[in-house]
Amino acid sequence: MKEPQPAFRVLVVDDDPDMGAFLALLLKKEGMRADVVEDGETALMRVMTDPPDLVLLDVMMPGLSGFEICHRLKSEEATALIPIVLVTDLEDQESRVRGIESGADDFLSKPIKREELLARVKTLRRLHETRKELESRRLAAEVESKEAIRKTFSRYVSPRLAERIIGDLGKPDDIFSKAKRSDVVALFADLRGFTRLTERTEVGRVVEMLNEYFSILSQAAYRYDATIFNMAGDALLVGFNVPFPQQDPARLAYNCAQEMLTRFAPVADQWEREQGIGTGVGIGISMGEAVIGNVGSPHYMSYTIIGNTVNTAARLMQLAQPYEVLICDRVYDELRAVVPLEQVEARGDVTLRGRTEPIKVFCLNVPLDGHPARAG
Amino acid sequence: MAEINYTAVVARDLEDLVPVFLKNRTKELDSLGSALKASDYAQLKQLGHRMKGVGNSYGFAPISEFGKMIEEGVRKVDTGAIRDCIAAYADYLANVKIVYE
Repeated sequence: MKEPQPAFRVLVVDDDPDMGAFLALLLKKEGMRADVVEDGETALMRVMTDPPDLVLLDVMMPGLSGFEICHRLKSEEATALIPIVLVTDLEDQESRVRGIESGADDFLSKPIKREELLARVKTLRRLHETRKELESRRLAAEVESKEAIRKTFSRYVSPRLAERIIGDLGKPDDIFSKAKRSDVVALFADLRGFTRLTERTEVGRVVEMLNEYFSILSQAAYRYDATIFNMAGDALLVGFNVPFPQQDPARLAYNCAQEMLTRFAPVADQWEREQGIGTGVGIGISMGEAVIGNVGSPHYMSYTIIGNTVNTAARLMQLAQPYEVLICDRVYDELRAVVPLEQVEARGDVTLRGRTEPIKVFCLNVPLDGHPARAG
Repeated sequence: MAEINYTAVVARDLEDLVPVFLKNRTKELDSLGSALKASDYAQLKQLGHRMKGVGNSYGFAPISEFGKMIEEGVRKVDTGAIRDCIAAYADYLANVKIVYE
C-alpha cells in the first residue's frame, strides 16, 4: 500500500495574529499544515530546528524585519533551498526590490487575495517537491553506487579501509584517478603441500579447505589493514602502505605473516589428521617501489601492484619452506629493532630466478606455540 | 474618505475567526488612542500599517482605508486627521453589520 504523503508544511511569520490565523486557515483548507509564529527570532529558531517546506513571511515586523530573516535563511546552507514568499504592500515597489536582493522566491500583496495566495503557494510547492524528488533520486543513485563499490572493495580490504576509500571517492586525488609509484611492502603467501592433498581429497572438500585457508589469511590481512590484490590457486598477494600510507608497514607485514602462520597451524594439523598429508604456509616479503593502479582492459580491470618489489616477494615465497617467512634486506633493516635476533637466520646472498644481481635474504622463524615448524 | 459601507461581506469559512478579529480591532482602537495621546508616531504608523493589511483580507474594506489614512496622517504629522480617523473607526466598529457568504 502506498504511504500517505506527509502534509506540505508552511511556516507563517506575521506579527499580526489575525493575519496569521487568516493565512493558516486558507492553507489548512488546502490540506497543508500551517504553523504561525509572530516574530523573527522565533521564526529563525523554528526553521533551524524543524524546517518547513515553505515560509510565508511578513516584511514589516517589529524586531527583525522580513528582509533580515529572508537574508539569513538564504545565507545558511541548511535553509537556503526553503522557498520564501514575502508578504508586502501592493504598492510597495521598494520592498519588492529589497525582497529580491534578500533572496525571496516570490511575493504576495496585502490585502491578501486567497486565489493569489493559493496559486503562488501551489506553484512553489510543485517546484519544491520536484526539487526534493530530484535530490532524493540523486542521493539514492549515490548510495547505490557507493554500496556497489563497498561490496566490491570489502572483498579486498578491511571494512575500515573500504570506508576510507569510499570517503575519498570523487576527490581530485582519489585512488582510482591515476596510477602512481609508491613505496610498498608486498607479502606473498602460498599453501605448501596442497597439490598432493587435492589428489587424495574429494573436490567439494578441497573447495571447503581452500576457503578455510583463504579465510584465515584474509582475516589476518584485514586485521593489519592490508589490501588483498590477488588470490590465485592457493597463493595470496597483499600490500601494505597502499593505497594509503601506513605507520611502520614492514612491521605490520611481519605481524600479519606471524598471524597467518599461527592461525593456520592448527588447521593444518587437523587436515593432516584427516588426510595424512602435511601442509604449511610459506611467505615472502619484500619492500620497495611499485606501480599501483587499475590494470587490464575495459572489460576486466583489476586494482593491483606491479614491479620488482612484487616479483621479489613472489620469488622469496617460492623459496620459503612451510612456516618460513623469507624477507629481503630492506625489510630486515626495518625489522631489526623489533625481531629478536634468535628468530632471524641469514640465508646469505641469493640470486632469485629472473634476476641477475643477488640479494641478501633472511628467514624469520615465527614461534608457533605447540606447532613446531615442519619441513614440507 | 468615500462614504463608509457599514455592511461587511465576509467569506463563510472565516466565520470562526471574526469574533477574535473584531475583539482585536477594539483593542487596536484603544492602542491608537493611547499612541495619539503620547504622540507615538512610530506606534501609530505600525498600527495603521497592520489595519491596512488585515482589513481587506477579512472583508472589512473600511478598516484598510482607516489604516491608510492613519499612515498618511503620520506622514504629514497631522494629528487632527488622525484623531478624526480614529473616531470614524470607532463608529464603524460600533455599527458594522456582517454578512457571511
